[in-house]
Amino acid sequence: MKKKVVSLLLCFVLAAGLMAGCQSKTEGKDSGKKETLSVWLPPLDDNTEKNYVPLLDAFEKENNCEIDVQLIPWGSYEEKYLTAINAGKGPDIGYMYAEMFPTYIDAGAVANMEKYLSKEDYEEYIYLKSGQMMGGTYGFPFVTGVPFIMYYNQDILDSIGEKAPETWEDFKRICEKATKDTDGDGQIDQYGYAAGFNSGDMSPLYLLNSYYYSLLWQTGSDIYNDDLKSVKFNNKTGIEAVEYLKSLAPYMPKDYMSLASADAFSNVFGGGHAAFASARSKQAESESFQKTYPNLNWNYVTSLKNKQYGTFGAVDSLTLMSACKNKELAMKLIKYMAGPKVMTAYHKISFGAPLTKNEPYQGNQKMERILTSDRGKWRQLQVGPCGSDILSNLSSQLQAVMSGKSTAKKALDDAADYANGLLDEYWAGKE
Amino acid sequence: MRKGTIRAYGYVMPIAVILIVFVVVSVGISLILSFTQYNILSPPRLNGLSNYKRILTDTKFATAMANTLKIMIYVVPLQTVLSVGVAALIASRKNTILGKLAGIVIFIPVLSSSAVVGTLWKAILTGHIAAIDSFFSLFGVQTSMLLGDADTALLVVAMVMVWKSLGYYTVINIAALTGISPNYYEAAKADGAGRWQRFCHITLPMLKPTLILDVFLGIIASLQCFDIIYNLTGGGPANGTTTLVFYAYELCFKSSRAGYAMAVANVLLLLLLIMAAAQKRFMKREVSQI
Repeated sequence: MKKKVVSLLLCFVLAAGLMAGCQSKTEGKDSGKKETLSVWLPPLDDNTEKNYVPLLDAFEKENNCEIDVQLIPWGSYEEKYLTAINAGKGPDIGYMYAEMFPTYIDAGAVANMEKYLSKEDYEEYIYLKSGQMMGGTYGFPFVTGVPFIMYYNQDILDSIGEKAPETWEDFKRICEKATKDTDGDGQIDQYGYAAGFNSGDMSPLYLLNSYYYSLLWQTGSDIYNDDLKSVKFNNKTGIEAVEYLKSLAPYMPKDYMSLASADAFSNVFGGGHAAFASARSKQAESESFQKTYPNLNWNYVTSLKNKQYGTFGAVDSLTLMSACKNKELAMKLIKYMAGPKVMTAYHKISFGAPLTKNEPYQGNQKMERILTSDRGKWRQLQVGPCGSDILSNLSSQLQAVMSGKSTAKKALDDAADYANGLLDEYWAGKE
Repeated sequence: MRKGTIRAYGYVMPIAVILIVFVVVSVGISLILSFTQYNILSPPRLNGLSNYKRILTDTKFATAMANTLKIMIYVVPLQTVLSVGVAALIASRKNTILGKLAGIVIFIPVLSSSAVVGTLWKAILTGHIAAIDSFFSLFGVQTSMLLGDADTALLVVAMVMVWKSLGYYTVINIAALTGISPNYYEAAKADGAGRWQRFCHITLPMLKPTLILDVFLGIIASLQCFDIIYNLTGGGPANGTTTLVFYAYELCFKSSRAGYAMAVANVLLLLLLIMAAAQKRFMKREVSQI
């Protein structure tokens, strides 16, 4: 009898547990409660929780609402969005980079903001047009104006009698001269180019941001053909870009394949052991970098030139999610988040380009030309279908070339075959 | 239906419900989705055998399969031999403090989470720790290069897997060793058999069923390897440590190609089923022989 009762009880507990798991979430919808807007952001700086999030407090008071900001680490960024949106637990306001958009736009997960934007908004928010893609305005530019630039160590260049490079030839020549054993122990301890091809805690796409797009664009090539139905990065100039990058390997730290790109910049270049490093223009302005390497005498060129100038400047945007219940309020918050009041305060703490006409430039004066005279030297990525997949694979192929496992032509042809297969499938589904 | 039968069903029901809900239904869903084009966000669209056809021409799948098999080849023999050796050493000193301590220490990595293990080894192998660097340099190896080359990175993953699971298999083997009657050894000793002969002619044959278990559990674990790779190498460099599970994960969560990811996962499931069936068959034969 006792056993029967126990087994019945166990069955009941199990069934109750399952029911509880399947139950829809209806609690907490108390009408007397303040409205909550959930916002998902990646880390924007060394301490976003302290530097940015408190700036939204005033909006909460003014609009009698609560803002729930969740910081999602880059390593699991897309995974978190996919699973949460699939489960109906996504945010009201998201943050996406170019490669992410197509999948979410196709699935109707992000809303077109156009009807919430006025002529005045287009005048005030200076990058707003960059949020237009795939027939609508799906992104509200939030982090931009901080392209990947080529930093150089002024002291090293002075010591070898060189000036800042302008062309690929200049760059390679200086790299060669800078790579040497400075303390006479027989080991090379100063490098031309502080590059690392391990993406570390970042997405593999970061390698392309750091080292690839600039060279590709400087040759005049690009990722997709204009119709977005096939790729062209494996054309003659695309191969030239990768071959040039590979030819720089002797001037990189010996462990460049296992060195994380972020560490290459902070430890190798920051430590004064390399003539050049490629990183975002706010990297050297970060608090931790400045504190660690206060005496580093650095400067930069926005872009090298081959056939033309070109370097990658992300336009990461806030998105209005389709599932958001109160889109008017969410749009108001989006404009507030990127607006002059919040961003003037935020960029005082953490450098960034002004997003609006009314936000003053507060960064290091020597970086300002990126936004003025050098504005034409950087641009955002094409937004094309299957972006994450195509570019992740391209990143792996780039690693294969750099590690000597493949040639530039073979790797790019393989990556192009893979990409074109995906694009064929994508467009076939559209017809 | 007899009263006893109803009671038996009652006892089995809780675990049956759990298995049906979390295993059978999941596998069924995965099977169905593998015949669709599905990106997680939009409803799935049937595409017949396209995903399975794509597998046949997908070079990344071939790389992932090769890496999975390589890991299995690296891990299983080494892990089995080492765990038997260590178990024999510990079992022969089971009443000493050192023996007891060794039994505990070797099990610590088993208890650690794979995420911690992966992160720890990553820090060790890329952190420029002077003592570690000096140790490896004795063998002409530069520590910081290990994870930068596809071949050595895969080997490192395999070694970390062995390091993590050695204690588990050692404990299984110790249990089996202590189950062997000392009478066999005494009789062999009386006949003049040396230590090596006793090991080869008594210990190993008596351990055979356990060794079969070790081998198949090792194969299954290496086919499923994911978390250490995720934390240690992220599948790189150049897909050099991308295994089938890691590839399925990337397809599903990084590339939003869940339908194809399910097809890849189902190929892996098929491999696992074959291994499980083979193990069952071997074990049955061994038990009947004993």
